[in-house]
Amino acid sequence: MAALVFAWPLGGRADEVPAFSLQGFGTLGLARTTSQEARFVRDLTQPTGAGRQWDGRIDSVLGLQANWQFSSSLEFVAQAVSRFRYDQTYTPELSWAFFRYDPNPQLSLRAGRLGTEFFMMADSRMVGYSYLPVRPPGDFFWYLPFLGIDGADVAMIFPVGEDVLRGKLYYGVSDANIPLADRQWKIDGSKMAGGYVDYQSGPWLFRVSYANILFSNDMPIDDILGRTLPPGMAAQARSFLAAANTRSHYYSIGVIYDRGPWQVQLMLNDINQGSQIFQSSKGGYALVGYRVSAYTPYFGYSRIFSDSRGNTLNPVVARIMADSHVDQYTTILGVRWDVARNIALKAQWDGIHGQPDSIFPYRLETDAFKGKLDVFSVTMDFVF
Amino acid sequence: MADLVVVVNARTGVAVMTRNEIVNIFFGRYRQFFNGIEAQPVDLVDANPDRARFYSALVGKDLSDVNAYWSRQVFSGRMQAPPRVNTVDEVLRWVSTHPGGIGFVDLSKADARVRVVYEFNP
Repeated sequence: MAALVFAWPLGGRADEVPAFSLQGFGTLGLARTTSQEARFVRDLTQPTGAGRQWDGRIDSVLGLQANWQFSSSLEFVAQAVSRFRYDQTYTPELSWAFFRYDPNPQLSLRAGRLGTEFFMMADSRMVGYSYLPVRPPGDFFWYLPFLGIDGADVAMIFPVGEDVLRGKLYYGVSDANIPLADRQWKIDGSKMAGGYVDYQSGPWLFRVSYANILFSNDMPIDDILGRTLPPGMAAQARSFLAAANTRSHYYSIGVIYDRGPWQVQLMLNDINQGSQIFQSSKGGYALVGYRVSAYTPYFGYSRIFSDSRGNTLNPVVARIMADSHVDQYTTILGVRWDVARNIALKAQWDGIHGQPDSIFPYRLETDAFKGKLDVFSVTMDFVF
Repeated sequence: MADLVVVVNARTGVAVMTRNEIVNIFFGRYRQFFNGIEAQPVDLVDANPDRARFYSALVGKDLSDVNAYWSRQVFSGRMQAPPRVNTVDEVLRWVSTHPGGIGFVDLSKADARVRVVYEFNP
Protein backbone atom coordinates (compact mmCIF):
# COMPACT_ATOMS: atom_id res chain seq x y z
CA MET A 1 0.00 0.00 0.00
CA ALA A 2 1.69 3.14 -1.18
CA ALA A 3 0.06 5.18 1.56
CA LEU A 4 1.55 2.94 4.21
CA VAL A 5 4.09 5.57 3.53
CA PHE A 6 7.66 4.50 2.82
CA ALA A 7 7.99 3.24 -0.70
CA TRP A 8 11.02 3.60 -2.86
CA PRO A 9 10.25 2.35 -6.30
CA LEU A 10 13.68 1.83 -7.79
CA GLY A 11 12.47 2.16 -11.34
CA GLY A 12 10.61 5.44 -11.05
CA ARG A 13 7.00 4.45 -11.54
CA ALA A 14 5.03 2.75 -8.81
CA ASP A 15 4.40 -0.39 -10.81
CA GLU A 16 7.92 -1.02 -12.01
CA VAL A 17 10.01 -3.80 -10.60
CA PRO A 18 12.25 -4.49 -8.84
CA ALA A 19 10.83 -2.40 -6.01
CA PHE A 20 11.60 -2.19 -2.34
CA SER A 21 9.21 -1.00 0.33
CA LEU A 22 9.38 -0.67 4.09
CA GLN A 23 6.22 -0.65 6.16
CA GLY A 24 5.41 -1.02 9.82
CA PHE A 25 2.77 -1.43 12.46
CA GLY A 26 2.58 -0.99 16.18
CA THR A 27 0.52 -0.71 19.31
CA LEU A 28 1.05 1.26 22.48
CA GLY A 29 -1.20 -0.31 25.05
CA LEU A 30 -2.01 -0.17 28.73
CA ALA A 31 -4.07 -2.73 30.60
CA ARG A 32 -5.02 -3.37 34.20
CA THR A 33 -7.28 -5.82 35.99
CA THR A 34 -9.25 -5.95 39.20
CA SER A 35 -7.40 -8.99 40.53
CA GLN A 36 -3.99 -9.34 42.09
CA GLU A 37 -4.51 -13.11 42.41
CA ALA A 38 -3.51 -13.84 38.80
CA ARG A 39 -1.71 -12.08 35.99
CA PHE A 40 -3.66 -11.47 32.80
CA VAL A 41 -1.74 -12.18 29.59
CA ARG A 42 -2.56 -11.63 25.95
CA ASP A 43 -1.54 -15.17 25.08
CA LEU A 44 0.52 -17.99 26.52
CA THR A 45 3.76 -16.76 24.99
CA GLN A 46 3.92 -14.18 27.78
CA PRO A 47 5.44 -15.22 31.12
CA THR A 48 3.65 -12.60 33.21
CA GLY A 49 1.06 -9.95 32.68
CA ALA A 50 -1.22 -7.28 34.03
CA GLY A 51 -2.47 -7.01 37.60
CA ARG A 52 -4.06 -4.09 39.40
CA GLN A 53 -1.50 -1.60 38.10
CA TRP A 54 -1.58 -0.27 34.56
CA ASP A 55 0.77 -2.44 32.58
CA GLY A 56 2.22 -1.56 29.19
CA ARG A 57 3.74 -4.93 28.44
CA ILE A 58 1.00 -7.22 27.22
CA ASP A 59 -0.36 -5.30 24.23
CA SER A 60 2.52 -3.09 23.12
CA VAL A 61 4.25 -4.22 19.96
CA LEU A 62 6.31 -2.84 17.11
CA GLY A 63 6.69 -4.52 13.74
CA LEU A 64 8.70 -3.63 10.66
CA GLN A 65 8.28 -5.27 7.29
CA ALA A 66 10.36 -5.09 4.13
CA ASN A 67 9.13 -6.26 0.76
CA TRP A 68 11.36 -6.83 -2.22
CA GLN A 69 9.38 -7.22 -5.40
CA PHE A 70 11.57 -8.88 -8.02
CA SER A 71 8.86 -9.24 -10.64
CA SER A 72 5.11 -9.12 -10.73
CA SER A 73 5.02 -12.74 -9.55
CA LEU A 74 8.07 -13.05 -7.26
CA GLU A 75 8.53 -11.32 -3.93
CA PHE A 76 10.61 -11.62 -0.76
CA VAL A 77 9.06 -10.47 2.52
CA ALA A 78 10.77 -10.12 5.90
CA GLN A 79 9.10 -8.94 9.08
CA ALA A 80 10.61 -8.41 12.53
CA VAL A 81 8.52 -7.91 15.64
CA SER A 82 9.45 -6.69 19.09
CA ARG A 83 7.04 -7.57 21.89
CA PHE A 84 7.06 -8.78 25.47
CA ARG A 85 7.98 -12.42 25.03
CA TYR A 86 8.65 -15.68 26.83
CA ASP A 87 11.96 -14.61 28.38
CA GLN A 88 10.61 -11.25 29.67
CA THR A 89 12.54 -9.28 27.08
CA TYR A 90 11.54 -7.35 23.97
CA THR A 91 14.18 -9.04 21.83
CA PRO A 92 13.08 -8.61 18.21
CA GLU A 93 12.15 -11.80 16.43
CA LEU A 94 11.97 -12.62 12.78
CA SER A 95 8.27 -13.36 12.43
CA TRP A 96 8.18 -13.69 8.66
CA ALA A 97 10.91 -14.25 6.05
CA PHE A 98 9.73 -15.93 2.91
CA PHE A 99 9.69 -15.96 -0.85
CA ARG A 100 6.32 -15.74 -2.52
CA TYR A 101 5.74 -16.91 -6.03
CA ASP A 102 2.37 -16.31 -7.69
CA PRO A 103 2.58 -17.94 -11.12
CA ASN A 104 -0.99 -16.86 -11.89
CA PRO A 105 -3.90 -15.16 -10.09
CA GLN A 106 -5.19 -18.53 -8.91
CA LEU A 107 -2.05 -19.90 -7.26
CA SER A 108 0.25 -18.57 -4.55
CA LEU A 109 3.28 -20.45 -3.21
CA ARG A 110 5.32 -19.35 -0.21
CA ALA A 111 8.38 -20.85 1.45
CA GLY A 112 10.46 -19.73 4.41
CA ARG A 113 9.38 -18.52 7.83
CA LEU A 114 5.63 -18.09 7.80
CA GLY A 115 2.91 -17.09 10.23
CA THR A 116 0.31 -19.78 10.72
CA GLU A 117 -3.41 -19.37 10.44
CA PHE A 118 -4.29 -21.99 13.02
CA PHE A 119 -7.57 -20.11 13.32
CA MET A 120 -9.00 -17.42 11.08
CA MET A 121 -6.95 -14.20 11.41
CA ALA A 122 -4.41 -15.86 13.71
CA ASP A 123 -1.64 -14.76 11.34
CA SER A 124 -2.35 -11.06 11.90
CA ARG A 125 -2.92 -11.19 15.66
CA MET A 126 -0.22 -8.62 16.37
CA VAL A 127 -1.48 -6.00 13.91
CA GLY A 128 -3.93 -4.18 16.17
CA TYR A 129 -4.80 -1.63 13.51
CA SER A 130 -6.23 -4.40 11.34
CA TYR A 131 -9.04 -5.44 13.70
CA LEU A 132 -11.78 -3.96 15.81
CA PRO A 133 -11.10 -4.94 19.46
CA VAL A 134 -8.00 -4.21 21.52
CA ARG A 135 -6.82 -7.80 21.06
CA PRO A 136 -8.24 -10.90 19.40
CA PRO A 137 -10.85 -12.36 21.79
CA GLY A 138 -8.81 -14.14 24.42
CA ASP A 139 -10.98 -17.15 25.08
CA PHE A 140 -10.45 -18.07 21.45
CA PHE A 141 -6.84 -17.08 20.86
CA TRP A 142 -4.83 -16.86 24.07
CA TYR A 143 -3.61 -20.41 24.12
CA LEU A 144 -2.38 -20.42 20.56
CA PRO A 145 1.29 -19.80 21.24
CA PHE A 146 2.20 -21.06 17.78
CA LEU A 147 3.10 -17.95 15.88
CA GLY A 148 4.91 -19.43 12.96
CA ILE A 149 6.66 -22.20 11.13
CA ASP A 150 9.68 -22.70 8.98
CA GLY A 151 8.03 -24.35 6.06
CA ALA A 152 5.85 -23.75 3.06
CA ASP A 153 2.27 -23.08 2.11
CA VAL A 154 0.20 -23.14 -1.02
CA ALA A 155 -3.01 -21.18 -1.62
CA MET A 156 -5.43 -21.77 -4.48
CA ILE A 157 -8.34 -19.64 -5.64
CA PHE A 158 -11.32 -20.88 -7.62
CA PRO A 159 -14.00 -18.49 -8.86
CA VAL A 160 -17.56 -19.78 -8.44
CA GLY A 161 -19.64 -17.35 -10.45
CA GLU A 162 -19.15 -14.09 -8.57
CA ASP A 163 -18.13 -15.93 -5.40
CA VAL A 164 -14.63 -17.03 -4.55
CA LEU A 165 -13.49 -20.35 -3.11
CA ARG A 166 -10.02 -20.27 -1.56
CA GLY A 167 -8.03 -23.09 -0.07
CA LYS A 168 -4.70 -23.21 1.69
CA LEU A 169 -2.38 -25.93 2.94
CA TYR A 170 0.75 -25.48 5.03
CA TYR A 171 3.44 -27.58 6.63
CA GLY A 172 6.44 -26.68 8.69
CA VAL A 173 8.46 -26.87 11.85
CA SER A 174 8.03 -24.60 14.85
CA ASP A 175 10.80 -22.54 16.39
CA ALA A 176 9.30 -21.38 19.66
CA ASN A 177 9.45 -21.39 23.43
CA ILE A 178 6.46 -21.30 25.73
CA PRO A 179 7.02 -19.90 29.20
CA LEU A 180 5.87 -21.94 32.19
CA ALA A 181 6.32 -20.22 35.51
CA ASP A 182 10.08 -19.97 35.93
CA ARG A 183 10.96 -22.25 33.02
CA GLN A 184 10.35 -22.62 29.32
CA TRP A 185 8.85 -25.36 27.25
CA LYS A 186 10.70 -25.67 23.99
CA ILE A 187 8.39 -26.56 21.16
CA ASP A 188 10.99 -25.94 18.48
CA GLY A 189 11.19 -28.89 16.15
CA SER A 190 7.48 -29.60 16.56
CA LYS A 191 5.88 -30.31 13.21
CA MET A 192 2.76 -28.40 12.26
CA ALA A 193 0.42 -29.01 9.36
CA GLY A 194 -2.95 -27.59 8.48
CA GLY A 195 -5.24 -26.05 5.97
CA TYR A 196 -8.49 -24.28 5.45
CA VAL A 197 -11.22 -23.61 2.93
CA ASP A 198 -12.77 -20.14 2.60
CA TYR A 199 -15.93 -19.29 0.75
CA GLN A 200 -16.42 -15.60 0.04
CA SER A 201 -19.82 -14.48 -1.19
CA GLY A 202 -20.23 -10.72 -1.34
CA PRO A 203 -19.99 -9.48 2.25
CA TRP A 204 -19.99 -13.01 3.71
CA LEU A 205 -16.91 -15.09 4.42
CA PHE A 206 -17.19 -18.67 5.64
CA ARG A 207 -14.24 -20.76 6.77
CA VAL A 208 -13.56 -24.31 7.88
CA SER A 209 -10.05 -25.01 9.13
CA TYR A 210 -7.96 -27.79 10.57
CA ALA A 211 -4.44 -27.91 11.94
CA ASN A 212 -2.32 -30.20 14.03
CA ILE A 213 0.96 -30.08 15.85
CA LEU A 214 3.22 -33.01 16.72
CA PHE A 215 5.08 -31.92 19.85
CA SER A 216 8.79 -32.57 19.88
CA ASN A 217 9.49 -32.21 23.60
CA ASP A 218 7.98 -33.04 26.97
CA MET A 219 6.95 -30.26 29.28
CA PRO A 220 9.79 -29.30 31.66
CA ILE A 221 8.39 -31.07 34.71
CA ASP A 222 11.10 -33.62 35.39
CA ASP A 223 12.56 -31.77 38.35
CA ILE A 224 9.14 -31.27 39.97
CA LEU A 225 8.37 -34.94 39.62
CA GLY A 226 11.82 -35.93 40.81
CA ARG A 227 11.57 -33.68 43.85
CA THR A 228 8.10 -34.72 44.93
CA LEU A 229 7.81 -38.37 43.99
CA PRO A 230 9.87 -41.49 44.64
CA PRO A 231 11.88 -42.51 41.55
CA GLY A 232 9.57 -45.30 40.39
CA MET A 233 6.46 -43.16 40.61
CA ALA A 234 8.24 -40.21 39.04
CA ALA A 235 9.11 -42.30 36.01
CA GLN A 236 5.51 -43.50 35.79
CA ALA A 237 4.17 -39.95 36.07
CA ARG A 238 6.63 -38.75 33.47
CA SER A 239 5.44 -41.25 30.91
CA PHE A 240 1.77 -40.64 31.83
CA LEU A 241 2.22 -36.90 31.24
CA ALA A 242 4.47 -37.17 28.20
CA ALA A 243 3.83 -34.57 25.51
CA ALA A 244 6.65 -35.55 23.16
CA ASN A 245 5.42 -37.39 20.09
CA THR A 246 1.79 -36.63 20.85
CA ARG A 247 -0.35 -34.81 18.34
CA SER A 248 -2.94 -32.13 19.10
CA HIS A 249 -5.71 -31.32 16.66
CA TYR A 250 -7.36 -27.93 16.10
CA TYR A 251 -10.69 -27.62 14.32
CA SER A 252 -12.52 -24.38 13.72
CA ILE A 253 -15.34 -22.81 11.76
CA GLY A 254 -15.99 -19.13 11.32
CA VAL A 255 -18.34 -16.68 9.65
CA ILE A 256 -17.64 -13.02 8.98
CA TYR A 257 -20.08 -10.42 7.68
CA ASP A 258 -18.45 -7.16 6.63
CA ARG A 259 -20.38 -4.53 4.69
CA GLY A 260 -21.28 -0.92 5.24
CA PRO A 261 -21.10 0.04 8.92
CA TRP A 262 -21.44 -3.56 10.15
CA GLN A 263 -18.69 -5.96 11.17
CA VAL A 264 -19.85 -9.28 12.57
CA GLN A 265 -17.72 -12.32 13.44
CA LEU A 266 -18.67 -15.71 14.81
CA MET A 267 -16.07 -18.42 15.37
CA LEU A 268 -16.03 -21.79 17.10
CA ASN A 269 -13.14 -24.12 17.81
CA ASP A 270 -12.58 -27.62 19.12
CA ILE A 271 -9.14 -28.59 20.35
CA ASN A 272 -8.28 -32.20 20.86
CA GLN A 273 -5.09 -32.71 22.86
CA GLY A 274 -3.03 -35.79 22.32
CA SER A 275 -1.38 -35.88 25.74
CA GLN A 276 -2.68 -36.23 29.30
CA ILE A 277 -0.92 -33.08 30.42
CA PHE A 278 -3.29 -30.82 28.47
CA GLN A 279 -7.06 -30.80 28.58
CA SER A 280 -9.03 -30.77 25.37
CA SER A 281 -11.28 -27.73 25.02
CA LYS A 282 -14.05 -26.06 23.09
CA GLY A 283 -14.31 -22.33 22.59
CA GLY A 284 -16.01 -19.66 20.59
CA TYR A 285 -16.78 -16.00 20.28
CA ALA A 286 -19.16 -13.56 18.69
CA LEU A 287 -18.25 -9.96 17.97
CA VAL A 288 -20.46 -7.22 16.54
CA GLY A 289 -19.36 -3.70 15.62
CA TYR A 290 -21.23 -0.82 14.04
CA ARG A 291 -19.49 2.26 12.69
CA VAL A 292 -20.86 5.73 13.42
CA SER A 293 -18.63 8.26 11.63
CA ALA A 294 -15.13 7.79 13.11
CA TYR A 295 -16.32 5.67 16.04
CA THR A 296 -17.02 1.95 15.99
CA PRO A 297 -18.51 0.66 19.23
CA TYR A 298 -18.38 -3.12 19.55
CA PHE A 299 -19.76 -5.83 21.74
CA GLY A 300 -18.51 -9.37 22.13
CA TYR A 301 -19.00 -12.56 24.03
CA SER A 302 -16.55 -15.44 24.27
CA ARG A 303 -16.58 -18.78 26.02
CA ILE A 304 -14.13 -21.60 26.61
CA PHE A 305 -14.21 -24.76 28.66
CA SER A 306 -12.00 -27.81 28.89
CA ASP A 307 -12.72 -31.42 29.77
CA SER A 308 -11.13 -32.81 32.87
CA ARG A 309 -10.00 -36.31 32.19
CA GLY A 310 -7.44 -39.01 32.87
CA ASN A 311 -8.27 -39.63 36.52
CA THR A 312 -5.27 -40.05 38.70
CA LEU A 313 -4.82 -40.80 42.37
CA ASN A 314 -1.41 -39.20 42.43
CA PRO A 315 -1.83 -35.66 43.85
CA VAL A 316 1.29 -34.30 42.13
CA VAL A 317 0.10 -35.53 38.75
CA ALA A 318 -3.41 -34.26 39.48
CA ARG A 319 -2.03 -30.84 40.30
CA ILE A 320 -0.02 -30.67 37.07
CA MET A 321 -3.04 -31.78 35.05
CA ALA A 322 -5.28 -29.21 36.75
CA ASP A 323 -2.94 -26.50 35.48
CA SER A 324 -4.46 -26.75 32.01
CA HIS A 325 -8.07 -26.48 33.14
CA VAL A 326 -10.24 -23.64 31.91
CA ASP A 327 -13.95 -22.86 32.23
CA GLN A 328 -14.95 -19.25 31.72
CA TYR A 329 -16.84 -16.74 29.63
CA THR A 330 -16.02 -13.13 28.84
CA THR A 331 -18.16 -10.15 27.98
CA ILE A 332 -16.39 -7.54 25.85
CA LEU A 333 -17.44 -3.93 25.37
CA GLY A 334 -15.34 -1.31 23.64
CA VAL A 335 -14.98 1.40 21.07
CA ARG A 336 -12.52 1.99 18.27
CA TRP A 337 -11.94 5.60 17.28
CA ASP A 338 -10.22 6.19 13.95
CA VAL A 339 -8.76 9.43 15.14
CA ALA A 340 -6.48 10.13 12.18
CA ARG A 341 -5.33 8.42 9.05
CA ASN A 342 -3.65 5.12 9.99
CA ILE A 343 -4.12 5.69 13.73
CA ALA A 344 -6.83 4.14 15.90
CA LEU A 345 -7.50 4.63 19.60
CA LYS A 346 -9.37 1.90 21.45
CA ALA A 347 -10.81 1.51 24.91
CA GLN A 348 -12.19 -1.82 26.08
CA TRP A 349 -13.65 -3.61 29.07
CA ASP A 350 -13.45 -7.39 29.42
CA GLY A 351 -15.61 -8.93 32.14
CA ILE A 352 -14.25 -12.42 32.77
CA HIS A 353 -16.43 -14.88 34.66
CA GLY A 354 -14.58 -18.08 35.37
CA GLN A 355 -14.62 -20.92 37.83
CA PRO A 356 -11.94 -20.73 40.53
CA ASP A 357 -10.18 -23.68 38.87
CA SER A 358 -10.09 -21.91 35.49
CA ILE A 359 -6.37 -21.10 35.67
CA PHE A 360 -4.87 -22.12 32.33
CA PRO A 361 -5.10 -18.63 30.74
CA TYR A 362 -3.32 -16.85 33.59
CA ARG A 363 0.14 -16.49 35.06
CA LEU A 364 1.20 -16.51 38.69
CA GLU A 365 -2.26 -17.33 40.01
CA THR A 366 -2.59 -17.89 43.75
CA ASP A 367 -4.89 -20.24 45.65
CA ALA A 368 -7.10 -17.26 46.44
CA PHE A 369 -7.94 -16.76 42.74
CA LYS A 370 -11.72 -16.69 42.24
CA GLY A 371 -11.82 -16.90 38.45
CA LYS A 372 -13.55 -13.54 38.08
CA LEU A 373 -11.90 -10.32 37.03
CA ASP A 374 -12.38 -7.23 34.93
CA VAL A 375 -9.76 -6.09 32.46
CA PHE A 376 -9.54 -2.46 31.32
CA SER A 377 -7.46 -1.66 28.26
CA VAL A 378 -6.57 1.39 26.21
CA THR A 379 -4.45 1.22 23.08
CA MET A 380 -3.18 3.30 20.24
CA ASP A 381 -2.72 1.26 17.07
CA PHE A 382 -0.91 2.56 14.02
CA VAL A 383 0.51 1.55 10.69
CA PHE A 384 3.14 3.38 8.72
CA MET B 1 -21.19 15.98 -8.25
CA ALA B 2 -20.78 13.77 -11.26
CA ASP B 3 -21.05 9.99 -11.09
CA LEU B 4 -18.11 7.69 -10.52
CA VAL B 5 -17.60 4.91 -13.00
CA VAL B 6 -15.29 1.92 -13.19
CA VAL B 7 -13.17 1.82 -16.32
CA VAL B 8 -10.96 -0.85 -17.87
CA ASN B 9 -8.39 -0.88 -20.62
CA ALA B 10 -10.39 -0.80 -23.86
CA ARG B 11 -8.48 -3.84 -25.15
CA THR B 12 -9.39 -6.20 -22.28
CA GLY B 13 -12.53 -7.35 -24.08
CA VAL B 14 -14.56 -6.70 -20.93
CA ALA B 15 -17.81 -4.83 -21.63
CA VAL B 16 -19.67 -4.91 -18.35
CA MET B 17 -18.99 -6.00 -14.79
CA THR B 18 -20.98 -6.62 -11.63
CA ARG B 19 -20.40 -4.96 -8.31
CA ASN B 20 -19.15 -8.21 -6.74
CA GLU B 21 -16.62 -8.71 -9.52
CA ILE B 22 -15.29 -5.21 -8.90
CA VAL B 23 -15.14 -5.84 -5.14
CA ASN B 24 -13.22 -9.07 -5.78
CA ILE B 25 -10.62 -7.25 -7.87
CA PHE B 26 -10.15 -4.15 -5.70
CA PHE B 27 -9.96 -6.16 -2.48
CA GLY B 28 -7.59 -8.70 -4.01
CA ARG B 29 -9.93 -11.65 -3.56
CA TYR B 30 -9.67 -12.64 -7.18
CA ARG B 31 -7.79 -10.58 -9.74
CA GLN B 32 -8.83 -12.01 -13.05
CA PHE B 33 -11.41 -10.98 -15.65
CA PHE B 34 -13.96 -13.49 -16.92
CA ASN B 35 -11.84 -14.07 -20.03
CA GLY B 36 -8.71 -15.02 -18.10
CA ILE B 37 -6.84 -11.71 -18.39
CA GLU B 38 -5.19 -10.74 -15.11
CA ALA B 39 -6.74 -7.62 -13.61
CA GLN B 40 -4.33 -4.81 -12.69
CA PRO B 41 -6.26 -2.43 -10.42
CA VAL B 42 -5.07 1.08 -9.63
CA ASP B 43 -6.24 3.05 -6.61
CA LEU B 44 -6.08 6.69 -5.55
CA VAL B 45 -4.35 8.21 -2.54
CA ASP B 46 -6.45 9.03 0.53
CA ALA B 47 -6.03 12.74 -0.16
CA ASN B 48 -8.04 12.44 -3.36
CA PRO B 49 -11.74 12.69 -2.36
CA ASP B 50 -12.75 10.26 -5.12
CA ARG B 51 -11.19 7.43 -3.12
CA ALA B 52 -13.61 7.87 -0.21
CA ARG B 53 -16.51 8.23 -2.65
CA PHE B 54 -15.54 5.05 -4.45
CA TYR B 55 -15.33 2.78 -1.40
CA SER B 56 -18.42 4.32 0.11
CA ALA B 57 -20.37 3.58 -3.07
CA LEU B 58 -18.81 0.14 -3.60
CA VAL B 59 -19.03 -1.41 -0.11
CA GLY B 60 -20.32 1.33 2.18
CA LYS B 61 -16.96 1.42 3.95
CA ASP B 62 -15.00 4.24 5.45
CA LEU B 63 -11.40 4.58 4.26
CA SER B 64 -10.04 3.59 7.66
CA ASP B 65 -11.90 0.26 7.34
CA VAL B 66 -10.38 -0.21 3.89
CA ASN B 67 -6.91 0.66 5.18
CA ALA B 68 -7.36 -1.71 8.15
CA TYR B 69 -8.28 -4.47 5.72
CA TRP B 70 -5.11 -3.86 3.73
CA SER B 71 -2.92 -3.77 6.81
CA ARG B 72 -4.12 -7.31 7.59
CA GLN B 73 -3.33 -8.49 4.06
CA VAL B 74 0.07 -6.79 3.91
CA PHE B 75 1.33 -7.77 7.38
CA SER B 76 0.20 -11.36 7.02
CA GLY B 77 2.29 -11.51 3.85
CA ARG B 78 -0.68 -12.36 1.69
CA MET B 79 -0.61 -9.55 -0.84
CA GLN B 80 0.03 -5.89 -1.48
CA ALA B 81 -2.71 -3.37 -2.04
CA PRO B 82 -3.17 -1.94 -5.54
CA PRO B 83 -0.68 0.83 -6.34
CA ARG B 84 -2.00 4.32 -5.63
CA VAL B 85 -1.74 7.37 -7.81
CA ASN B 86 -2.57 11.00 -7.09
CA THR B 87 -4.87 12.10 -9.87
CA VAL B 88 -7.57 10.98 -12.26
CA ASP B 89 -5.20 11.62 -15.18
CA GLU B 90 -2.75 9.15 -13.70
CA VAL B 91 -5.56 6.60 -13.27
CA LEU B 92 -6.43 6.92 -16.95
CA ARG B 93 -2.79 6.61 -17.95
CA TRP B 94 -2.38 3.50 -15.80
CA VAL B 95 -5.52 1.83 -17.13
CA SER B 96 -4.67 2.54 -20.73
CA THR B 97 -1.04 1.37 -20.45
CA HIS B 98 -1.70 -1.90 -18.58
CA PRO B 99 -3.34 -4.75 -20.49
CA GLY B 100 -5.55 -5.60 -17.49
CA GLY B 101 -5.82 -2.05 -16.16
CA ILE B 102 -8.91 -1.17 -14.11
CA GLY B 103 -9.64 1.98 -12.13
CA PHE B 104 -12.35 4.42 -11.18
CA VAL B 105 -12.90 7.98 -12.45
CA ASP B 106 -15.63 10.53 -12.89
CA LEU B 107 -17.87 9.67 -15.84
CA SER B 108 -17.02 13.01 -17.46
CA LYS B 109 -13.29 12.11 -17.45
CA ALA B 110 -13.61 8.72 -19.12
CA ASP B 111 -12.17 9.00 -22.64
CA ALA B 112 -11.65 6.75 -25.67
CA ARG B 113 -8.62 4.99 -24.13
CA VAL B 114 -10.82 3.25 -21.57
CA ARG B 115 -14.16 1.51 -21.44
CA VAL B 116 -16.81 2.13 -18.80
CA VAL B 117 -17.86 -1.22 -17.32
CA TYR B 118 -19.80 -0.16 -14.25
CA GLU B 119 -21.72 2.93 -13.16
CA PHE B 120 -22.70 3.70 -9.61
CA ASN B 121 -26.26 4.89 -9.39
CA PRO B 122 -26.31 8.29 -7.74
